[in-house]
Amino acid sequence: MTRPDSVSLTARRLQVLPLALVAVFFVVPVVSMVTRFVRPGSLFDALTEESLRGVWWFTFWQAGASTLLTLVVGIPLTWAVARFSFAGSRLVTALVTVPFFMPAVVVATGVKAVIPGQPTLGILWAHMVFNVAVVVRVLGPRWALMDPDMEDTAADLGANPARVFTAVVLPHIAGALRAATSIVFVFCFTSYGVIAILGGISRRTVESEVFVQAVRLGDTRTAVSLSMVQAVVVFVVFAVGARGGSDNARDGSVSVRPRRTTRRNRRMVAAAVLVPTALVAAPLAAIVMRSFVVDGMPSLDGYRWLFDGTTEQIGIDTRRVIATSVVFAVACTVLTVVCATVIAFARNPTGTLSALTSLPLAVSAVTLGLGLIITFDSSPFDWRGETWLIPVIHAVVALPLAVRTLDGAVGAIPDDMRRAAASLGAGPWRTWRRVELPVIRPALARAAGLSAAVSVGEFGATSFLSRSDSTTIPVAISRLMGHPGAVLPQTAFALAALCVVVFTLAFAATV
Amino acid sequence: MRSPRRIGSIAVIASLALTLTACSQQPDAAPTEVVLVAYDAFTPQEGIFDAFTATTGVKVRVVNAGDTGTMVSKAILTTGKPEGDVMWGIDNTFLSRAEGAEVLESYEPVDEGDICVNYDKTWFASRNIAPPETFEDLARPAYAGLLVTQDPTASSPGLGFLLATIAHFGTEKWQDYWARLVDNGTKIVSDWTTAYTAEFSGSSGKGRYPLVVSYGSSPPAEVVYSATPVSEPPTAVIESTCFRQTEYVGILRGTKNRDIAQKLVDYLLDVPFQESMPLSLFVFPVNPEATLPQVFVDFAVRPADPLTISPDDIEKNRDAWLDAWRAIAL
Repeated sequence: MTRPDSVSLTARRLQVLPLALVAVFFVVPVVSMVTRFVRPGSLFDALTEESLRGVWWFTFWQAGASTLLTLVVGIPLTWAVARFSFAGSRLVTALVTVPFFMPAVVVATGVKAVIPGQPTLGILWAHMVFNVAVVVRVLGPRWALMDPDMEDTAADLGANPARVFTAVVLPHIAGALRAATSIVFVFCFTSYGVIAILGGISRRTVESEVFVQAVRLGDTRTAVSLSMVQAVVVFVVFAVGARGGSDNARDGSVSVRPRRTTRRNRRMVAAAVLVPTALVAAPLAAIVMRSFVVDGMPSLDGYRWLFDGTTEQIGIDTRRVIATSVVFAVACTVLTVVCATVIAFARNPTGTLSALTSLPLAVSAVTLGLGLIITFDSSPFDWRGETWLIPVIHAVVALPLAVRTLDGAVGAIPDDMRRAAASLGAGPWRTWRRVELPVIRPALARAAGLSAAVSVGEFGATSFLSRSDSTTIPVAISRLMGHPGAVLPQTAFALAALCVVVFTLAFAATV
Repeated sequence: MRSPRRIGSIAVIASLALTLTACSQQPDAAPTEVVLVAYDAFTPQEGIFDAFTATTGVKVRVVNAGDTGTMVSKAILTTGKPEGDVMWGIDNTFLSRAEGAEVLESYEPVDEGDICVNYDKTWFASRNIAPPETFEDLARPAYAGLLVTQDPTASSPGLGFLLATIAHFGTEKWQDYWARLVDNGTKIVSDWTTAYTAEFSGSSGKGRYPLVVSYGSSPPAEVVYSATPVSEPPTAVIESTCFRQTEYVGILRGTKNRDIAQKLVDYLLDVPFQESMPLSLFVFPVNPEATLPQVFVDFAVRPADPLTISPDDIEKNRDAWLDAWRAIAL
């Protein structure tokens, strides 16, 4: 850690902004829930009660199995994308990232269309589809920085590919791998939508049980207690993952251009790309295909109904729905990226702040959602039905992801670079603007993408906020699905397919 | 180094607080808006509140608060400090919970409908099998593996169907019946959408199950929202399985606009709104002067003597019933 310059000093002062954001819209609501409902005995019951034991077991089991599957599919793909340049590389990266942005209802419906009647396998597959992007994006940049000569040398000395991976590659990417594993595990551990849609009734997880207890059975105490125990588990997982997250990114790292494939490895690269991509794309392809079939015949009717006013009969104006999602995503992205940049450049020695901003990932969406309701119920802070609250909560939830993305990138800026700029007479601000910011531009783009993903995908807590005229795409899809007759579910598939296509093209153009 | 930082922090927090307070100040004068809190599926006909605004000068803002369970849970957490003035759509399965928490000042029925087993007419006709007619039929081997229903802990029609079986068989015998139903290959899914649009053979999903728990108004919906114009629905209702679901409209305790809230309740119970409900919400009016659209007259089912259980009994026993159900079905 170098002496703080004026850039990081300013950043440290500005940290009050993200801090206030997290305090007001996360800490206060959750603490209100805990103080109102949790007693020491109820925490103990949440862990030990007979009927909840199976829930804990299944939650751990499916999260572990989902994470394993995600790694098995994601690591070869990451290797291929990080190491080699080949035609369609960008498109592949874009394609596997799309599901991360998709509402759970879309991916789960797609998985169901491909393998109906396989709930457990369906859950694992859907989680894999969602999270392969995390592996590629967290592990990829780290792997790409590693000098391939190291692998070549090991191979020349007679090590087989497995030995090269465990002895040379693994130590180099271990930190990033551990970070990716912990993030994937947490996402699977706390996943709600996928479980609700695919799990049927006997596959219950802690997150879905929190919802059932709080909303169906009216037992808020058990619900909040469960979610507190769950938060502890998530926190431990993150702590383990973060220990490796800061591995020294500078050692042995050079800027490496991806190689062209050679005849010798072409087949292996092709397999490493095609198999995972097919596994991730199949459910999405199923949705696109389904959107063109009405009553068993090929048809474009779904798309026509989407825009000809048919859906307005049930109060859904498609154009406005799309506009709302875009506005929310932009607002959330700006807020999140600004806050995350401030935190990253403050270069906090202890990382306390980035730990604090990670809290929103750990606590159940139900608890946060209900906490917001009881916190903001009195004038002048009666914000329960305020439309601006939705993108703000999206930002609070997106912040940990964005901070993680930027922290690493800022930490990896070589001090030499700053010193070189300084010795050429550039002040700290000029260095920041002309040297540091350009260096982290890819990470900024990734952070922006993640924030938009959280907003468009509508994860959890905001579904507890009341809304007036602010239907978003995932809300519209699930409302359209929930009607009898062929017309409205068909428009839901058309809207979902539209998301798949637009996102894929947008990513392919920018990634 | 320390003090400028602190001053900066205080300045930012203060300006933040000021902005937020300024944004959320409400005028105390005569209300220009009345807020109707409703479940997400509340999709009234476009422009239906224009007449209300024209006579009272007050706009109606609809706030969607989640599904019925979420809406009630939220209202209970903030009872006395409501999100709006009037609440639409607490049904008889949640009414007692809302009553116990004193969420509402007053309430009355606003619409009704029935949760009933629906069947795929073509499926049975093409196989020359008579459709089942009673609960008992559903547990017979002849109809094994044909019914799909929903988890009553998560789904409102699922709960309605469970309550229907309790009303029909009594508190002693319903558990035996459910054991037979489960043994007979009844498929239980988490929600209505999965059951009706994916597993049921008679609607858009073309699934494998020709019997599904849905509503008495689902057949007319199949006609209105058919991909190609049809004169008859592909589905029908088994009347003996119908459980009456009544929805209520109430004034939220703590409203600052009591008079206008009462006017809105009156408007919702008046003929024009009541007549708009069948085709926008697929429920029946409670106002006897409201006439039904033809498609409802032709195809919707509203039994004269449906199964019911009183809201008090539901609230008292729900947890025990659901636990018992879980033990049988899971």
